[in-house]
Amino acid sequence: MNGKKSFGGGGGRGKSSGNQQNKDGQRRPMFRRRKVCKFCSDKIDDINYKDVRMLMPFVPERAKVLPRRISGTCALHQRKLRTAIMRARQLALIPYTTE
Amino acid sequence: MSRKYELVYVVSPEASDEQVADLHTQVEAIVQRIGGHIEKTDNWGRRKLAYEIGRHKEGTYVLEAIDGGGELMKEIDRRLKVTDLVIRHLIVRVDEEQGVVDRTRANRTESSRRRRVARGLPPDRQPGEGQRGEVDDDREDRFDMGEELR
Repeated sequence: MNGKKSFGGGGGRGKSSGNQQNKDGQRRPMFRRRKVCKFCSDKIDDINYKDVRMLMPFVPERAKVLPRRISGTCALHQRKLRTAIMRARQLALIPYTTE
Repeated sequence: MSRKYELVYVVSPEASDEQVADLHTQVEAIVQRIGGHIEKTDNWGRRKLAYEIGRHKEGTYVLEAIDGGGELMKEIDRRLKVTDLVIRHLIVRVDEEQGVVDRTRANRTESSRRRRVARGLPPDRQPGEGQRGEVDDDREDRFDMGEELR
C-alpha cells in the first residue's frame, strides 16, 4: 500500500512541474477524471432488461441511450446495455422518448 | 432440444385478478400440450407504463421462465398476439447469455483465486479484507485530484 501511494505522489509532482511552464501565457491543459466502465469495475456480467433501476442512469432525460464517450462504458457492455434498453422499451419499462 | 426462454406479458389494467390467473393457466396449458415446462412464474403486479399503450397508462406485468422448444414459443407468441387482454409481450431466449455469464463469472473467481494463491494468500477473500484496497485504487484513478488541491 505504501508503495502505491508514493507512486501516486510522484506522478503528481511530475505534472506540477509541467504546469509551471504553462504559466507563461499558455492555457492550462484540461484535466478530466479517467472514465471507467461501470459494469467492468462493479463486475456486473448480466445486463438485464428487467432491472430498470440499473438501466435508468444510462437513459438521461430525453430517454436516449447515453453515449459511450460520456458514460465511459466499454464497447462490450455498451452493446449489451443497448439491447437491454431496447427490450425494456418494448415492455414500456423505459420510455422511447419524452415530450 | 430444450431451450430456456423468458416471457413477459403486460395485461390490461382493466383485467381482474382472476383474468390474469386465467391467462397464466392458458399459457401453462399450451406449454404442457407442446411439451415443455414452466420453471418460474413471477407476477410483478401493477406498474405504471413508461408511455401510453393504446389508452392504458398502467399494466400488470407477469414473467414466466419457460423451458421448451422454438415451436412452443411460436405458438405462445401467436396466441398472445390475438389475446386482446395482453397489451404487450416479449419473448427472449436466455440460455445462451446465461451460459456466457456463468462462464465469465467462473473464470473470474478462478483467476482471482490463482492470483491470491500466487501471492501467498488463502484462495478466498477473508471478511474485512479487500474493501479498503478497492477504495485506494479508486483514489489512484483520480490523477486530477492533486491539481485541484494545489
